[in-house]
Amino acid sequence: MSNDLAIQARGLGKRYLLGAAGDKHDTFRDLLVAGARSVLGRRNKKAHTEFWALRDASFDIRHGENVGIVGLNGAGKSTLLKILSRITDPTAGSARIDGRVGALLEVGTGFHGELTGRENVFLYGSILGMQKEEVRRKFDAIVEFSGIPQFIDTPVKRYSSGMYVRLAFSVAAHLEPDILLLDEVLAVGDLAFQRKCIEHAKELQKRDATILFVSHNMFSIKTMCERVIYIRKGQIMFDGPTDEGIEFYEKDCSLSTLGWVKTDQSEWPLTITGCELSDASGVAKTVFNFGESMKLRIKYQMRRPVDDPNFIVAFIRSDGVACCNFSSELDGVTLGRVSEDGVVELTCPPLKLVSEMYTISILVREKGFQQVLCGQMGGAFHVKDDLLNTHFGVFHESAAWKVQADGAVETIPARPRLIGA
Amino acid sequence: MTSVARPITQIRPSAGWLDLDLGSLWRFRELLYYLVWREVKIRYKQAALGVAWAILQPLFTVLIFTAIFGIFARFPSDGLPYPVFALAAVLPWTYFAEALRRSATGLVTDADLVRKIYFPRIIIPVAGASSPLLDFAFGLIVLLGLMAWYGIVPGLSFLTLPLWLAETFGLALAIGLWLGPINVRYRDVMHTLPFVIQVWMFATPIVYPLSMIPEKWRTLYSLNPVVGIVEGFRWSLLGTGRPDLAAVGISLVVIVIALFGGVVYFRKMERSFADVI
Repeated sequence: MSNDLAIQARGLGKRYLLGAAGDKHDTFRDLLVAGARSVLGRRNKKAHTEFWALRDASFDIRHGENVGIVGLNGAGKSTLLKILSRITDPTAGSARIDGRVGALLEVGTGFHGELTGRENVFLYGSILGMQKEEVRRKFDAIVEFSGIPQFIDTPVKRYSSGMYVRLAFSVAAHLEPDILLLDEVLAVGDLAFQRKCIEHAKELQKRDATILFVSHNMFSIKTMCERVIYIRKGQIMFDGPTDEGIEFYEKDCSLSTLGWVKTDQSEWPLTITGCELSDASGVAKTVFNFGESMKLRIKYQMRRPVDDPNFIVAFIRSDGVACCNFSSELDGVTLGRVSEDGVVELTCPPLKLVSEMYTISILVREKGFQQVLCGQMGGAFHVKDDLLNTHFGVFHESAAWKVQADGAVETIPARPRLIGA
Repeated sequence: MTSVARPITQIRPSAGWLDLDLGSLWRFRELLYYLVWREVKIRYKQAALGVAWAILQPLFTVLIFTAIFGIFARFPSDGLPYPVFALAAVLPWTYFAEALRRSATGLVTDADLVRKIYFPRIIIPVAGASSPLLDFAFGLIVLLGLMAWYGIVPGLSFLTLPLWLAETFGLALAIGLWLGPINVRYRDVMHTLPFVIQVWMFATPIVYPLSMIPEKWRTLYSLNPVVGIVEGFRWSLLGTGRPDLAAVGISLVVIVIALFGGVVYFRKMERSFADVI
């Protein structure tokens, strides 16, 4: 029975110590200071604070299964991957892995700029655990896959970052592991290259390879895996069919503080207590079709009165690109003196953003885009479209076209794509 | 798919103290080879004079030492031409210093690998101690040329050269295994090491002969394990002095113990490298 299991994890856990005891002291001086403190009895209260990056993770993965591991940043998915790839040891639990493991936590780790592409193929292959003979056998295929054979004897430092990633990924793609651990690295390169990569992944699936695909994006997982393991705060919250996992996950993309707004939250004159997403008719949802309208209801709580606050809502794509921005002030809305709790409702024009995951960041500024009064993350939503993805740009709009062919002029008016086509 | 025997991996928290797992070093020998190969390649890649530097560096060092210590300070040199006398010790010392430096700091230099890739970490200090061997080989050719110039022919003792070299490798690696994990936590090691190496060189009979040390201080002085090694090299290459067999034996035992302890310590510490580096 256990023979068809590729990975058996039982109670895997990883604990980190925070504060003085487990802190890393980058210099000896820090250590001396910490030591002196503890001798003087002025030990940090934080000492010995435990933090479980992953706790009690148990699951079975059969050979040939493709499983997505999903979680927000810091949920513990990378920790799990690092344990399974043996980069770090678990603090608790055990795992049994049946087969050769290939782990890609980052593409191109170990590439050296001074070496040529050819030399790097051999070095990187070896770092990924391939035998020299294996690399030699696959060398031509690797170079062909990368699509940059003319630069293979050029030092890698002269490569563009795109070429660099292509070559590195080509090497990685030719690793033929029984179990492949992928950390969001599949989404590299241009469209043609990405297609090649997807085909390659499908090829691996046909070969009955087991793939663990880690991502924060439930949707990119959906095309690859029928099963997801959803991790939140180090705990496995859900393990089952991807569709059910998505629902679970959406509920979790709740409010939190924006990382770059550093000020103490208790000093904010107001806080956002909720952000509900719905379609134009008010049906709550977080997955929108391309071209659909979205309504946001932002609940706020006042601590101190504010004159003419400027509510700003931005959509940030999963790769950090700020895609668009709505501002009450720019739209000429004056809120006056706000002193009581309330709700701000915003209806977006039809979403023309391409299919991706977007997080909403909500900022409240003083009038005239002055000081930030409050900065919070208001959850996430997805735009769904079969065709339009990031290769089509940030957004897509239809245009009016004119074709001029030998005398006859034909004007073709813009014809928007059918919603949800 | 025909099922070839698949390797089974067990992952669990820290194994015992004495789980040295030296077999993994063998399984990953190709990576070791490539890491050494990488060091050697990139060292001379961008230099116009390329590998010639491996020869020029010890030559210049000896030139300076000859001028300062041989000509101005008139240090004795056991009756040998000063350049030969100095080079025979500068070579192993340079190798030792470089091997020690690289094996102690390699983990931090290759922090990206440690963070993102699994492999037995011990490969890094072993590669660090191995890669300067090539420079040593080039330097040795220079020395043999210089000896021929002065008409000095090495005797049968030359055959013991690998023993001294192995001892140097072992000592550098042993110290590297102890310092490497400390350096992962406290980068102070990196900053202190060059200074320590410099002082250490003057506490070793490199620019001056062992005979300059008063008899009553000899034993204390010889506690520096490199003293025996350097004297061993001089004896092996130039036939000066006679190695004290007891001292050689003791230093061998000390190196083996330090190496063993280093491996145990390193294995114990390597589990947290990826977390703290």
